[in-house]
Amino acid sequence: MIKKIFSFTSILIFLIFSCSSDNDDSSSEVWVQKSEMLTNWADNFIIPSHSTLLDNLVYLEGAGNSFTNLPNQQNLDSLRTVFINAYMSWQYVEMFDIGPAEESYYKSKMNIYPTTVSRIEINIQNENTDFNNSNNYSAQGFPALDYLLYGIETSDELIISKYNTDSKYLSYLSKVINQMLQNTYPIIEEWGPYRNTFVNSVENTATSSVNKMTNDFIYYYEKGFRANKFGIPAGVFSGSTLPEKVEGYYNKNISKQLALEAFQAIKTFYIGNGGVSLSQYIDDVSSDGYADLSTDILDQFDIAESLINGLDNNFYNQIITDNNKVLETYDAIQQGTILLKTDMLSVLQIATDYVDADGD
Amino acid sequence: MNSKINNYLKSHTNASPLAVFRIGFGLMMLYSILRFWYKGWIQTLYLEPQFHFKYYGFEWVRDLGDYTYLLFIICIISSVFITIGFKYRLSIIFFFLSFTYIELIDKTTYLNHYYFISTLSFLMIFLPANAYFSLDNVFRKKSYKQIPTWTIDCIKLLLSIVYFYSGLAKINSDWLLNAMPLKLWLPSKYDIPLIGETFMQQDWVHHFMSWGGMFYDLSIPFLLLYKKTRVVGFILVVFFHLFTGVLFPIGMFPYIMIIGSLIFFDSSVHHKIIDIIKKIINPIRKNIELSNKTIKENLIIKNKKFVLSIVSLFFIIQLFLPFRYLLYPSELFWSEEGYRFSWRVMLVEKIGYTTFKIKYKSAQGVETFKVIGNEDFLTDFQEKQMSFQPDFILEYAHYLGDYYTEKGYLNVAVYADSYVSLNGRRHQQFVNPKVDLYKEKESFKYKTWIIPINDEIKGF
Repeated sequence: MIKKIFSFTSILIFLIFSCSSDNDDSSSEVWVQKSEMLTNWADNFIIPSHSTLLDNLVYLEGAGNSFTNLPNQQNLDSLRTVFINAYMSWQYVEMFDIGPAEESYYKSKMNIYPTTVSRIEINIQNENTDFNNSNNYSAQGFPALDYLLYGIETSDELIISKYNTDSKYLSYLSKVINQMLQNTYPIIEEWGPYRNTFVNSVENTATSSVNKMTNDFIYYYEKGFRANKFGIPAGVFSGSTLPEKVEGYYNKNISKQLALEAFQAIKTFYIGNGGVSLSQYIDDVSSDGYADLSTDILDQFDIAESLINGLDNNFYNQIITDNNKVLETYDAIQQGTILLKTDMLSVLQIATDYVDADGD
Repeated sequence: MNSKINNYLKSHTNASPLAVFRIGFGLMMLYSILRFWYKGWIQTLYLEPQFHFKYYGFEWVRDLGDYTYLLFIICIISSVFITIGFKYRLSIIFFFLSFTYIELIDKTTYLNHYYFISTLSFLMIFLPANAYFSLDNVFRKKSYKQIPTWTIDCIKLLLSIVYFYSGLAKINSDWLLNAMPLKLWLPSKYDIPLIGETFMQQDWVHHFMSWGGMFYDLSIPFLLLYKKTRVVGFILVVFFHLFTGVLFPIGMFPYIMIIGSLIFFDSSVHHKIIDIIKKIINPIRKNIELSNKTIKENLIIKNKKFVLSIVSLFFIIQLFLPFRYLLYPSELFWSEEGYRFSWRVMLVEKIGYTTFKIKYKSAQGVETFKVIGNEDFLTDFQEKQMSFQPDFILEYAHYLGDYYTEKGYLNVAVYADSYVSLNGRRHQQFVNPKVDLYKEKESFKYKTWIIPINDEIKGF
């Protein structure tokens, strides 16, 4: 009897171990993999995106100075070109609302739209603006520049003549540009020492980097991208359309371009651009039911992207003429949100960063 | 048979296990509530939400604003009194009422172990836990050596039900065949020293722990009941609870169960515990034990018939309530109809994403839709819990319907866009998006607007 039990147990143990060695899919390297992912995020996404943005903001400052010295059509055109370049590079930065950026409300200071025109006009007349006052968040950054470069008058001639006649406008324009640099410098500086903190925070807690960044990524997709760029102006949350809430409203021609660039940023971050990121992480930890999840998410992104491509360059026009197309696009983007917030969160077992209570 | 029962009900046993249980219970409760307060959860869970999810039939229970703290103070004072055995009956009644009231304020915070505390404290109202080694003995100048056997046995029975039923609930295909949800949870514990990177990542460990957990829960009551296996059983209890306490954020529950399981031991063990306590409190004790108290042999329960019928009814409910899910045609883990109050612990990993759309007639008489931002009404915790539980979804839909109707919106209808992922399955639509939830009423009836899961989970 004892012999039988012994041989049975040894067979069982043998079976268990031989099975387990088959299934050993590099899972004991979770730490390494997570830290590779964080390194990829920091070194190939977050830090370079911020420096590209900074470069563009420096060009913007130069073009701004030229325009201030000589407000003419040529200088306005070149200022507008660098403005669009900088706005495009911002699309690669907005989702990284983490660490120093989160602490200094960077995102809010750079891109709250629609901008508050009345506030801008008051600031212009007062000639003294505290840009760190939260009431002034929507009177600075890209949306304020959008207004100042395209919206203060109805034609280019009138805009230029306004800058020529009223120096207060010129002064506010350069203050806004300068403030964008002032907002950005400290973020880049602080990322120096913060980079190692970020990369080394690989444990699975609510405040660890992987969890925070993944939550931030989803939050950006849902709010910054889906709601702000599409849902809100299309009237999804208000019952009636609010076309004046599109991004780049005064330019009248870049809302689609900005949205596509933002989607590019979302996709490359998700795929990882050659390094480890969410899609590979999903593949590595997923089992059975989730086998196709990472490509399903990507496919859904592609569907949404092709619908965005079909929209008018100016979302304002699109909403006014045929809002259903925007709503369809919104729905396709929303399908992506569902995949990220149910399947991806379930398979990655990301601790949510907000719930502090016991479970059972 | 009848005479056997009668003899059992008349039999007496040493009072010390119940006294130790009372002290342990009081101390654990005191610590739990102080911890809850210290973590700021009174504020975040009960005061910050602008809206509370109610248990069906208890909609009248509301938070008391800043006076909610008073409820916790009542809990704290009664825990202290229970511990020292002062005005025991009154204290345990106050504890049961205040604790249960707190739990009824918002079902978002429902935990099986809070329910366990409520049921246990209710049961303890009818037990003579102050018969021995209590301050009441000193003041009443009476102490009892023996109490009716059934008064200790019914705590053992309640604990056994908790273990055994949670073991039964684990006999299902997700848990045993797919090792779900442990297969999702354990690998994410890679940051636990030594075992995190190695064991927690192994498929066989997930299966082993699933099966082990099931056998553990089913057998613990028996291991603790039989004298020969009791010590082994208790070692298992300590190991299992401490281990799960390391793995999962389950707060005080492991310690409550460990202390609670001591009741299975003989009175000799409890006398030793009491001796230790006596040594600790000796300086204070000298002053109070002066009074000449009489030590009586057997405690007789007053209103015995009444008490016994209440306790019997209590256990009949405890035995049958967990099976009420059989009355629903839906998949239990998916629809959660009949899920709570049944000792179903750690069985599901569910993530939901639920948003609401209201339809109304605009001022121009045009049918209009608008999507609601949950963050305008719910805390993150409430939103998380709401997103996969149908009764929450319905209650919130009504709240939204009322809110917008009061704001003057006409012909309001509320639709849910809801997706849920259960135990490693890909997400599925959860609620029929065409049903106006504002017209659906909460009841114990089957909720036909839940879209059934297109899979079958076999078992209890």
